[in-house]
Amino acid sequence: MKIENTKAQMRKGVLEYCILSILQHGDAYTSEILSTLKSAEMIVVEGTIYPLLTRLKNAGLLSYRWEESTSGPPRKYYVLTENGGMFLKELDKTWSNLINAVNQVTSKKTTKDE
Amino acid sequence: MNKTININLGGYFFHIDENAYKKLRRYLDAIAKSLSDDPQGKNEIIADIEARISELLSEKILDARQVVNEQDISDVIKIMGEPEDYTEGEESYTDNSYQYSRRKNNSKKLYRDGDDKFLGGVAAGIAHYFDVDVIWIRLAFILLLFGGGFSLLLYIILWVLLPEAKTTAEKLQMEGEPVNIDNIEKKIREELNSATEKIKNAANEVTQKVNEGVSGVKKNGKKARSGFQEFLDTLGKIITAFFSVIGKFIGVIIIIVSASVLISFILALFSIGSFSILGIEDEYMSLPPFMYDSTLPNWLLVTCTLILVGFPFLVLFVLGLRILSSNVKQFSKTTSLTLLGIWIVALLMIVFTGIEFGTSHARSGSNITKKELYIEPNDTLKLNVVNDDNIYYQYNFRRRDNREEVVVNDKFQWYSNYVKVDVRKSKDETTYVEVRKRSRGKNVSKAQDNASRIRFDYEVSDNKIDVDGFFLTDFGNFAKNEVVYFTLYIPEGVSIYFDDSSRTFLDDIDNTTNIYDNDMVEHYFLMTEDGLHCTDCLKKEDSEGSDE
Repeated sequence: MKIENTKAQMRKGVLEYCILSILQHGDAYTSEILSTLKSAEMIVVEGTIYPLLTRLKNAGLLSYRWEESTSGPPRKYYVLTENGGMFLKELDKTWSNLINAVNQVTSKKTTKDE
Repeated sequence: MNKTININLGGYFFHIDENAYKKLRRYLDAIAKSLSDDPQGKNEIIADIEARISELLSEKILDARQVVNEQDISDVIKIMGEPEDYTEGEESYTDNSYQYSRRKNNSKKLYRDGDDKFLGGVAAGIAHYFDVDVIWIRLAFILLLFGGGFSLLLYIILWVLLPEAKTTAEKLQMEGEPVNIDNIEKKIREELNSATEKIKNAANEVTQKVNEGVSGVKKNGKKARSGFQEFLDTLGKIITAFFSVIGKFIGVIIIIVSASVLISFILALFSIGSFSILGIEDEYMSLPPFMYDSTLPNWLLVTCTLILVGFPFLVLFVLGLRILSSNVKQFSKTTSLTLLGIWIVALLMIVFTGIEFGTSHARSGSNITKKELYIEPNDTLKLNVVNDDNIYYQYNFRRRDNREEVVVNDKFQWYSNYVKVDVRKSKDETTYVEVRKRSRGKNVSKAQDNASRIRFDYEVSDNKIDVDGFFLTDFGNFAKNEVVYFTLYIPEGVSIYFDDSSRTFLDDIDNTTNIYDNDMVEHYFLMTEDGLHCTDCLKKEDSEGSDE
C-alpha cells in the first residue's frame, strides 16, 4: 500500500463532484475548470480531467456550447444540464453525509486513544 | 539546425521544429492508445487535449514568428501529465476489473504481483498472465525445485527481471483479460492496426517529402501514391503478423535452450565444487588435457570455462524473455559492464592456460635407466611382448593404438603402445637392458622429469623377457610425443628368439641378412661379430628370395 495511491484514489472519487460544483456557479470553459481544480490542489496534472469531462457529457450531466474568444479560436464552454443539477444535489447530500460519517468515525477513534 | 513544420493545433497556428513535432506526435498517439475503445469519445477527448495544448503553447509563444521547441513540449507534458494519467480519471468508475480491461486497449503483460506475494510475487504474476490459480504455479515451482533446483534459478531470474505492478494501470495490465479465442483474435487485430498506422504515418511522411520535391508534377502522382500506400499497408500487415508469431516462437525456443544450458552449467559447477570438497575430482573428472598442468587451480579453470560459455547464454535468455514480454527489464549498465568484465577475465585466464599449455611442449628430454641381466654365454633369450589384459580387453584395443584415454586405478590416463624394441650388440660381455623414455616439457629438466614419470615395465625371469607392450602416462601429458625405447644389449654368442607377440614392436633391428622386422618374429638370432644372424631362417629366406 502506498500513501500516494490512496491519496489519489480519495481525490478521484470526489473529482466528479467538484467539476459539477464548479459549473453550478456558472458556465466555464476547460481552462477555467482546470485552474480552479489546480489551485485547490484537487488535481496534479491536467490530463486527468479530459476523459472525465467527456464522460460526464456523454452521461447527459453536462453539455457544452462554443463561444467566440477575443484571443484565438472559439472556446468550449461547459454547461450543467438539468439532469446534472439533480445529480449534483444528490452528491451534495452524499458528501455532507460522508463528511459527518468520517468526522464521527475519526473523532471517536481519537477520544478512544486518549 | 532544425527543420520547422507549420501545424494547426486546436485552431492556433504554430511553427514547430521537427524534433518537437515528433515528440508531440508521439505524446498524442500514446494518449490515444491509452484511452478507451470508443472512437467517438476518443476523438473528442483528443480534440479537447489538443485545444488545451495549443492554449498552453500560445501562452509561451508570444511572438508568432517564434518556433516551438522540444523544451516547450516537455513543459506542456509536465502540465498535462503522462499518458497513464489520462486513464486515472476513468478507472474509479468501473467496479469490475474485467469490464475495465475490456475497454482498455492494452495487452496483458507479465508483472510481479506485490499484493499476493509469498516471496517476490513471481508466481502470482505468472498466474495472472496465464489466468490460472496461483496455487498451481507455486506447486509447479516447488515440484521443479526437487527436480534439480531449476525453479529456484528461474524464480530468482524472474524476480530480478520482472517489474512489480505498482500503479493501477500496471495491475490491470497484469490481470488483463482471460486468454480465449475471442481475445487472441482481438489482440492480433489491435497489433495489426497499430502496426499499419505506424507504416501509414511513415508512408505519409515519405510521400509528403516526395510531393514537396515534385510539387510541379500533379494528379497522376496522387494516384500512384494511394496505390503505393495500399501496397505498404498490406505488406506491413503481413510482415507484422509474420514476425509477431515467428518472433514469439523464436523467443520461446531461445528461452528453453538457454535456460537448459544455464541450468546444466550451474549443476555442473555445483557438482565440481562438491567433488573437490570430497577429494574425488581427479578420479572421475575428465578435464580437457590442457588444464592439467596449469598453474591455475582446476576449479578456477572450470568456473572460467562455464562463465565463458554460460554468459552468452544468459544474455540469450534475457533476450528471449524480452521478445516474449516487452516489459522485462534490461540489464542495467553497471550489471552488463560487470558481467562483461567477469567474462573477459575468464577469457584471459583460459587464454593464459592455453599459452601455458603451448609452451609446455617447447623442449624434449629423456630419462634413461639401465639394468644388467645375468645370462650364461651361449644362452638363448626369449623376447615376449605382453599387454595388460584388463586394459586391452576393456577398451577393445587394436594391435596398434597409439593414444587412448583409459581409466586405470580410477584415474584418467593416456594409454599408448608407442614402445620400440631394439636389440643391439653389447660393447662388453654383459647383457643389459636400456629403457629410454622420451617426453616434452617447458624446459629440458621439466621434460626429463615428465619422461621419468612414464609408467612402463618389463620383467625378466630365467631366460624369458616380458616387455610391456604399452605405457601409461598422466592425462595432462597430451601431445607430448612420448615414446619408450626398449633396447636389449647382448654380447656375442647369445641367441635371441622373438615371440610372435613382439611383431609390431620391433623397431628396425639391424641384422646381417637385412631381414625385415616383421619377418624376424618366430626365428632365432645369434649375436655374431657382425651383428645378429638368423640361424633358422635361411631356407625361408631362400624361398622368399625366389618369390621376389
